[in-house]
Amino acid sequence: MSENAIVVCTWSTGRDGLPEGIEEVLHIGRGMASALGTELAWLVLGPLPESAPELAGKYGVAKLQHATDPKLDPAGSDACVEAIAAYWETHSPGTLILHQTNEARVVAPRVAGRLGKAVVMNGISVEAVANNYQITASAYGGDTRVIYEVSSGSILSFIANAVVPEPAEGDAVSPETLAVDLSSVEERIQIVEQASFDGPRLDDAEIIVSGGRGLGGADNYKLIEQLAAALGGLPGASRPIVDEGWVDSSHQVGLTGRITRPNLYIAVGISGASQHMAGCSAAGTIVAINRDADAAIFQHARYGIQGDALEILPELIRAANAR
Amino acid sequence: MKITVCVKEVMDPDAVNNYAVAGRLEIGPDGKTLTQTAIPRLMNGYDEQAIEAALQLRDAGADFTLTVVSAGPEPEKMLKHAAALGAQEIVSIPIDPGQHDYHAVATLLSAQIEKTGGADIILCGRQASDDDQGVVPALVAERLGMPVVTLARALELRGDKLRVTRVTSEGDEVVEVACPAVVTISNEIGDPRYPTASAKVKARRVKPTVTTPADLGLGEAELQPRVMLTRQFVPEVQGNCEFIQGEPSEVADQLIERLKADSIL
Repeated sequence: MSENAIVVCTWSTGRDGLPEGIEEVLHIGRGMASALGTELAWLVLGPLPESAPELAGKYGVAKLQHATDPKLDPAGSDACVEAIAAYWETHSPGTLILHQTNEARVVAPRVAGRLGKAVVMNGISVEAVANNYQITASAYGGDTRVIYEVSSGSILSFIANAVVPEPAEGDAVSPETLAVDLSSVEERIQIVEQASFDGPRLDDAEIIVSGGRGLGGADNYKLIEQLAAALGGLPGASRPIVDEGWVDSSHQVGLTGRITRPNLYIAVGISGASQHMAGCSAAGTIVAINRDADAAIFQHARYGIQGDALEILPELIRAANAR
Repeated sequence: MKITVCVKEVMDPDAVNNYAVAGRLEIGPDGKTLTQTAIPRLMNGYDEQAIEAALQLRDAGADFTLTVVSAGPEPEKMLKHAAALGAQEIVSIPIDPGQHDYHAVATLLSAQIEKTGGADIILCGRQASDDDQGVVPALVAERLGMPVVTLARALELRGDKLRVTRVTSEGDEVVEVACPAVVTISNEIGDPRYPTASAKVKARRVKPTVTTPADLGLGEAELQPRVMLTRQFVPEVQGNCEFIQGEPSEVADQLIERLKADSIL
């Protein structure tokens, strides 16, 4: 493998299909590799997704490396950290990049701690400057952007929902199998009860209708569900109403909830705090409904309706059902 | 049993948000430091919830010494608040945040915990509301050879094991881990309690233990920053909102028509 190679790393989460965010990080990785004149590799821990070779070709991946071990299917964080550390020993990559999932939020800093490397989370974009990288990341819940500089040989995690991936023509890449020995790894965290949610996920939704405190009360959240259903979308929520217990946290959109990128995001009674916008600002079109004409949400919206959500929602449900 | 909570002082994120939304957030001549002196500094909310998680364990009957430790410019006032909440021991590691990145902070915190005989449970907020990085807990865990369980909404001690309910994108997950372990606390744990007036008075007399990097045997080489903050700025939003006006039934019909015309519906 060429020196300073950029390595995108993904692992099996037990869900079928390609890992989430993979095209976005491959897109970022391709950009980094070409800026540095180095090659891009994709390290897959655990079962190889069926379409990985083809996808690798579309993003200029030079090497598709596939680490197999029973302990990587599905992969616990101890197995992931061990596998990546072993990979680093033998391949000494330039930089490892990840799509930021809850699992990546654990694995990235643990690998950094294990190997004595730098780690940066919440990356939005990256530029190579001499032998260093400058990563633009979100801070203060999205209120500010910071630029961090790290040397090559770091671990970077991206919230890549604002990236528009550009696949190109390219031949499928044959995977090469890497032997890793994880026989000594015993996962220290035992799952007693699996998370049981198996419905459609906000992360994948094309249309989301979210409600906030402006709904006035928990009972009115059903209007959000009805409008979402009428539009063929999913209901979301701001953090305050999740904290209040109006809906459970699987609905929460925002920096500490789901990071979404739907085509259409309708925010009802949501002020538009940066914390929330971090989870929906990549939406194709944002519609805001709010009583307060000065609410920050209108700065992000394409269409705005100033008024009482409880008067407007029933009409919108009617109009959506009639379309 | 010993429980250590790691806390960080931050600028009040709600005040930062208000200034940012109003377009009046000031960034100093170095191009990276927020300079508004009107913004109060307080304990990171998630860290306060990590103390709350410890107090909930105590409410449930667990017997332990609670230590709260912080590395930062002037952590003492915030640590008095921790003492008022029920920390028996407060530890301050004064450092200049401009010279120390979060890797250095993790090194200092783990060295302090190690020096004082370790901890059975280390609790941290899921992330700090200023940099949102959330990497210190895992760095500390890795340094001390402990597992790290993230995003806890509930904790239960069962003998020497900790049962943790985690918030995940697929709903709640329940896991079990043997102590010693690091656990990060999410906002779902609930609002932190307020100290009583008498506890506040008593806390004034609690003296923090002050430890320097040198006391921990750490010099420049070990604390060399790996991540340099070079700039900070407020992102611009385009702001081309078109308001749709009229009676509720009219705006509803118009909005659906617009979205259809834009091929969004």
